[in-house]
Amino acid sequence: MTDHSDEHRAADTTRKAPGNSTTADVRISFKRWLVKNVRNPYVVFTSLVQPVIFFILFVEVFGAIADGALAGVFGSDISYVTYLSPAIIIMSTLSSAATSGIGLVDDMEAGMFDKMRVSPMSNSAMLFGKVLSEVTRIVAQTLLILLLGYLLLAVKHGVAFDQYLRTGVAGLIGVVLVTVIFGGVFMAYSNIVALVSRDQEATILFANLLTFPLLFISSAFLPLSTLPEWIQTLAVLNPITYGVDAVRAVMLGENLMTVIDVTAFSGIWNTVVPAVGVLVAYAALLGTVAIRLLRRASKRAVQ
Amino acid sequence: MTNQQSQPTQNAVEQSREPDLAIDAENVTVTYDDGTEAVRGVSLRVENGEFFGFLGSNGAGKTTTIKSLVTLLDPTHGSVRINGYDAATDPQMVRRSIGYMPQETSIDRELTPRENLRLACTLYGVPAEQRTDRIEALLDLVDLQDVADTRAETFSGGMKKRLDAATALVHRPPVVFLDEPTTGLDPEARLRLWDYFDRINEQGTTVFLTTQYLKEADRLCDRLSLLHDGQVVETGSPAALKSEFGADVFEITLANPVEKQIERGVGAIRRIDALGNPTIQTTDDGIIVRSQRVRTAASELFAALDDVGVSVRDFDVRSPTLDDVFLSLLDDSSGDGNRTETDRASLATQEMST
Repeated sequence: MTDHSDEHRAADTTRKAPGNSTTADVRISFKRWLVKNVRNPYVVFTSLVQPVIFFILFVEVFGAIADGALAGVFGSDISYVTYLSPAIIIMSTLSSAATSGIGLVDDMEAGMFDKMRVSPMSNSAMLFGKVLSEVTRIVAQTLLILLLGYLLLAVKHGVAFDQYLRTGVAGLIGVVLVTVIFGGVFMAYSNIVALVSRDQEATILFANLLTFPLLFISSAFLPLSTLPEWIQTLAVLNPITYGVDAVRAVMLGENLMTVIDVTAFSGIWNTVVPAVGVLVAYAALLGTVAIRLLRRASKRAVQ
Repeated sequence: MTNQQSQPTQNAVEQSREPDLAIDAENVTVTYDDGTEAVRGVSLRVENGEFFGFLGSNGAGKTTTIKSLVTLLDPTHGSVRINGYDAATDPQMVRRSIGYMPQETSIDRELTPRENLRLACTLYGVPAEQRTDRIEALLDLVDLQDVADTRAETFSGGMKKRLDAATALVHRPPVVFLDEPTTGLDPEARLRLWDYFDRINEQGTTVFLTTQYLKEADRLCDRLSLLHDGQVVETGSPAALKSEFGADVFEITLANPVEKQIERGVGAIRRIDALGNPTIQTTDDGIIVRSQRVRTAASELFAALDDVGVSVRDFDVRSPTLDDVFLSLLDDSSGDGNRTETDRASLATQEMST
């Protein structure tokens, strides 16, 4: 305390904070958001509890009838658990990513955003650290769902893990990568809504408004060929279709693309390459808009 | 984005014109895109170590001014130098040499005070070996040791503000900007905060504080500027401003407030030499007299009214408030009665809401 006062008395106007390197800034922001996420019951629920509930309910309720539909499309060697896993993974990624903007709005409303801007921390490091924490969350929940899916399958049919994720460790990494890219699309979307509305409720509303219907206008729950024609048409534009198809192709080790017919590659790559391509394009487009809006929000010019 | 560490210190020192001034703002003008002139030619010179107040009602332009001082927005015209660094060309150096407490409570509610302070330490790159000592010293300073490991979401407004103030000080900035730090707090919490701000200033930190409370500026500030409608209308010490512009107010309610009675009363009051040169205003039910000497001349005033047959039903004498200082300044500067009435109305509404 005395030490503190003395140094203050010796104050001169050249005294200043040292600041950090950009990597240190990213780490600081990453750590902050990670701690905040873990402490937020809503985040923990949507990441860890909700997927489990949905997974089990869907399998129990739709499993019996879906097996028939699946047999028509895939033959008899695929269980609904395996078929549904990619959908649950993508759905959980979606609900995590689509709420990404809430933290940003919260920071803006609470003055934390301005406080960070007045600190020596770089704005891009601040953003990057936050994105990394969300990626961590998405990876963690994806791994959890994969484990749960395998357990469900093992209990129901007593199959081995390589029957569930047929492409092994490479496939596991592939699923995680697709999930992260897919998450990027909706993180960008959510942050756009947040930056335009500057309102938490609006950000949550738009997250649910768009994402819930999108899940049904896709190949997530049932094979597209068994669904009405208008859904098949709209599904072509839906990022969820590409996310689910890519994850499903990787898990089953088969070409499963449901909306566009690509034959330039071989096997599962005919699904993965175009699907990831479409997702990257969506992420790049929305990401550019989000970053531009964020720049405008943090720029010093008068608005 | 820019790598702060690569900027040599000497460079900034060479640029500085007047190293003595903590804040040197010249003719700062901020015009919003919709054409609103939020700040119109504000100039401020704050010495190192001063406690400087920036007093004005809601919408006067206080926050806009403070934002242009702390590099959050670029003024449309004018220049800002903080600690000798130019805010337009050297914002990083300005940021590293200031602390800022925004009007909204800017703490992370999901973190504890200790964690919030640690976050602030890391944001400003306080060396790891100094962090613990500094955090403990600040927790002592703002009396938050007892709750240092409790998440801030459960805190009262006053506790949050104290934590917020502490986080603005982790890097020991020579200047700290506090934007309406006590607005919305109860009187006790406000008193406590005043105490901490005093301590911070006593420790050698220059404090720039915006407020809408005259009492607050009076209690804390060495000097203050009065801001109205985006312009500084007066600068001086609180005592000087009050004695110059803040006449005591004598409100008289007449027993029979008809026009003739009021007129007669006003005439009688004007003839009282002891009142000096009072400002007299009539209302629906009586007369308001503003004068430095209204307290000492009270008995003469009653006698004079009695002489002309005007009987008083009720009266009230009060010390000048922010409103009165503003109103007398506006009377002096604009001489526009209508404008004064509107301002009176807006100030009255504001008083109600605070």
